[in-house]
Amino acid sequence: MQSLTFLGIESSCDDTAAAIVRQRDGAAPEILASVVEGQTSLHAAFGGVVPEIAARAHAERIDLCIEQAMTQAGIGFAGLDAIAVTAGPGLIGGVLSGVMCAKGLAAATSLPLIGVNHLAGHALTPRLTDQVAYPYVMLLVSGGHCQFLRVDGPEAFTRLGGSIDDAPGEAFDKVAKVLALPQPGGPAVQAEAAKGDAKRIPLPRPLLDRPGYDLSFSGLKTAVLRARDGLMAGLGGLRRQDRADLCAAFQRAVADVLTEKSRRALTDHPVGTFAVAGGVAANTEIRARLQALCDSLGIRFLAPPLALCTDNAAMIAWAGIEQFRQRGADDLTLSARPRWPLDQTSPALLGSGKKGAKA
Amino acid sequence: MPPETVLAFDTSAAHCAAALLLPDGQVVQRLEPMEKGQAERLMPLLEELLAEAGLGWRDLTRIAVGTGPGNFTGVRISVAAARGLALGLGIPALGITRLEALAYGLPRPLLVAEDARRGEAYAQGFDLQGFETACLSPISDLPPASHVTGSAFADALPPALPLAEAMARLAADRAPGPRPAPFYLRSADAAPPADPPPVILP
Repeated sequence: MQSLTFLGIESSCDDTAAAIVRQRDGAAPEILASVVEGQTSLHAAFGGVVPEIAARAHAERIDLCIEQAMTQAGIGFAGLDAIAVTAGPGLIGGVLSGVMCAKGLAAATSLPLIGVNHLAGHALTPRLTDQVAYPYVMLLVSGGHCQFLRVDGPEAFTRLGGSIDDAPGEAFDKVAKVLALPQPGGPAVQAEAAKGDAKRIPLPRPLLDRPGYDLSFSGLKTAVLRARDGLMAGLGGLRRQDRADLCAAFQRAVADVLTEKSRRALTDHPVGTFAVAGGVAANTEIRARLQALCDSLGIRFLAPPLALCTDNAAMIAWAGIEQFRQRGADDLTLSARPRWPLDQTSPALLGSGKKGAKA
Repeated sequence: MPPETVLAFDTSAAHCAAALLLPDGQVVQRLEPMEKGQAERLMPLLEELLAEAGLGWRDLTRIAVGTGPGNFTGVRISVAAARGLALGLGIPALGITRLEALAYGLPRPLLVAEDARRGEAYAQGFDLQGFETACLSPISDLPPASHVTGSAFADALPPALPLAEAMARLAADRAPGPRPAPFYLRSADAAPPADPPPVILP
């Protein structure tokens, strides 16, 4: 197998990232550099990622991140074999900026260009970090995505199920917002939950009564808001302990649903490894529950290091290497796609009509 | 200053515009009107232009890119490509605003004003006292000028040169500065959340 060194570029949400990954013949891949520049402070005042603000930041940062990654890796363009770039799904302004910068670089350097699906980047990360053999089952759980995937090859993904509305990461952010906690919501809600009683306030476990692996978090979000309003009635504010109890109840509900749906997916699709990716996988209660589930099923549980769980460009460079070996490069007409389901055959969970499935 | 070989391009409106300025002052150029698809078309169009002149990417000494104001996404398409090209080729990229390019070669004092919808215009004066800085202005507040051009005027002077050619010529005569950045003039449409967070009680 040919030794390959790829530049990866990622700009599909609110992180601008560039990385260099090398795989020498038969050896485990090495991350030579990985630069991630976040935009949390730019969006803080708005209570969520504002697409136009994100796009503006990406357009003026991507080339800087690339330079930084190449300096860190100590290589020039002559040391690269190709450029891999996230071509969707995601916020189109950012994806476009990344794709166009990659095209400019590819034209200038005559390097091959390969467009990578952002979700494939997450889904192939267990092979980057731990050389996990196909097939395995993956739970991708982040601010923008929530799906169970069975991974059989670099381009062979089957979506077993997923959220029919919001992603859990978004729910954590919204819950933080309505409880006067800072963004990003995940760490803030977790910290409050540690001080609360998860059993005091009853919250629903959406779709747990239905068969299959689909999930829903929109109603849970609303239930937290209703419970908050109930607790605040006549007080003019929210008591600190009530807030902690709400956080604990919410986190427990998310963990319960994810764990039970994971149990079903793994029972129906027996594989050797269950891997998670996405920022929500950093939640310690969710992680502990999934670990315990895998222990009880005798399956290996794999949670890559947080820096490779959240958005990054090393996963894009790596997915680029794996897919390039299989299908070669794209050309300079490569499109940026806001919607791009990884699994083109399973029926759409989100989005439909003319624009097609979202992810 | 040695003569430059400049590749200029712009996608700030419903087009892909490109011009290649050669060291002898000759220009080859293309203008393809299109509502969408600029991101897919831009690079192949640039390669066709280079091939027409018998040149390759490595023969370029400068990139010029239209930074707007105009369609936000369109501007980013070209600016991101220009920054990628400049990084890969190791040559400077210069940002040229649409207003500067429209003013190229026209008599002064001149007011350039491009329709920005909502009754406003992206405007800049050239040798027009007190109005030299580009701004977003209500059309009704634009100052009088002996010469006017741009889509905000019914009696506009026609441009002296096609947009991309003007950008190439401006960039050839200008010292390279910071990396090109989109010139939006209009801020991102984003409002802070409407529902304030609750007061936290002890």
